Amino acid sequence: MEIEVWNPWIAGLAIGLFVIFHFWLMGKPAGCSTGYGNFLGLLFKSVEYFRVGEYSHLNNSRLWFLIGIPFGGLLSALSSPDPWHFTFDMGMYDTIFPQTDAGRAIWLILGGALLGFGARLAGACTTGHALVGGAMLNPPSLLAGAIFFVSAFITTRLLFGT
Amino acid sequence: MHELPAKDGIRNYVVSFVFVYRNNFFGLLTGILFGFLMSHAGATTYDFHAKMFLFENFQLMIVIGTAVTVAMVGVLILKRFRVRAVATGNEVDFVKKPYQKGLMVGALLFGIGWGMSASCPGTIPAMIGEGKIGAIFALIGLLIGTMAYGLLQTYLMMARRHKALNLDDENKAKLHCPDNSCDA
Repeated sequence: MEIEVWNPWIAGLAIGLFVIFHFWLMGKPAGCSTGYGNFLGLLFKSVEYFRVGEYSHLNNSRLWFLIGIPFGGLLSALSSPDPWHFTFDMGMYDTIFPQTDAGRAIWLILGGALLGFGARLAGACTTGHALVGGAMLNPPSLLAGAIFFVSAFITTRLLFGT
Repeated sequence: MHELPAKDGIRNYVVSFVFVYRNNFFGLLTGILFGFLMSHAGATTYDFHAKMFLFENFQLMIVIGTAVTVAMVGVLILKRFRVRAVATGNEVDFVKKPYQKGLMVGALLFGIGWGMSASCPGTIPAMIGEGKIGAIFALIGLLIGTMAYGLLQTYLMMARRHKALNLDDENKAKLHCPDNSCDA
């Protein structure tokens, strides 16, 4: 799937304006990873952590924000010149990832699990910490954002053997 | 019981429905916009992640740098003019994520996950919308990882409660027989 990619300065400007728009509309910072807890709380009623505190109201705007994202991706793909289709093509990663489909699936599930567990342990993901937390110059967010980047940098370098 | 004409009843129903679910609708709308922008910014394209960390292409670095700078100015303006939010009617709440125990370890694990999957929790749903099969597996992993944290926290909550209850029982026993003579 070839997505039409905008000029990075324009795209950055648009995302920056989006963060401001989100603040103005919702009155609170944008965030992604917390919404997965809402989803799990609705799915598994006996897991108490996803029913109390910040998860006491599960059917909220955070959950609907997550539900909206795939439609945004779909719109973007449909407005790109390449016709929409399913693909397991991973570009440069094809050479370094496990070569069988099953192996690659397990690899991605493992990577996803680290993302999910790490995001909850750190309190937020790239959006909540690096993007929105960075815009508010929140010291813990800047620290988390820096560690996200360094850790991913080392992992990618090791994977590509450079 | 109120007996309203059907027209008023429907109108009241719509008004209360909008009142209750307006924020969810706003959430859906901003989510669509977010997915669209992330996708066109290149954050859902695997190669840009690899090329950024290998210093071959700076698309994503410019995107996040510009976005953070623009948003920073916006936050200052919103704060300066005490702008009220549409959804709440109150001043915008710039609630900051606190430093929490495990932030550094969590961030380290998150980074490894980022390097392994070339995606993050915000881009995975957008990638699914684009038809990337890999993102479906990453989403399964993401839910497993989040679930693991939720289960761990639930057990810790239960253990704390259990401990508090036990301490309570011990205190009661001490009150009942201060010299521990009734233990036997």
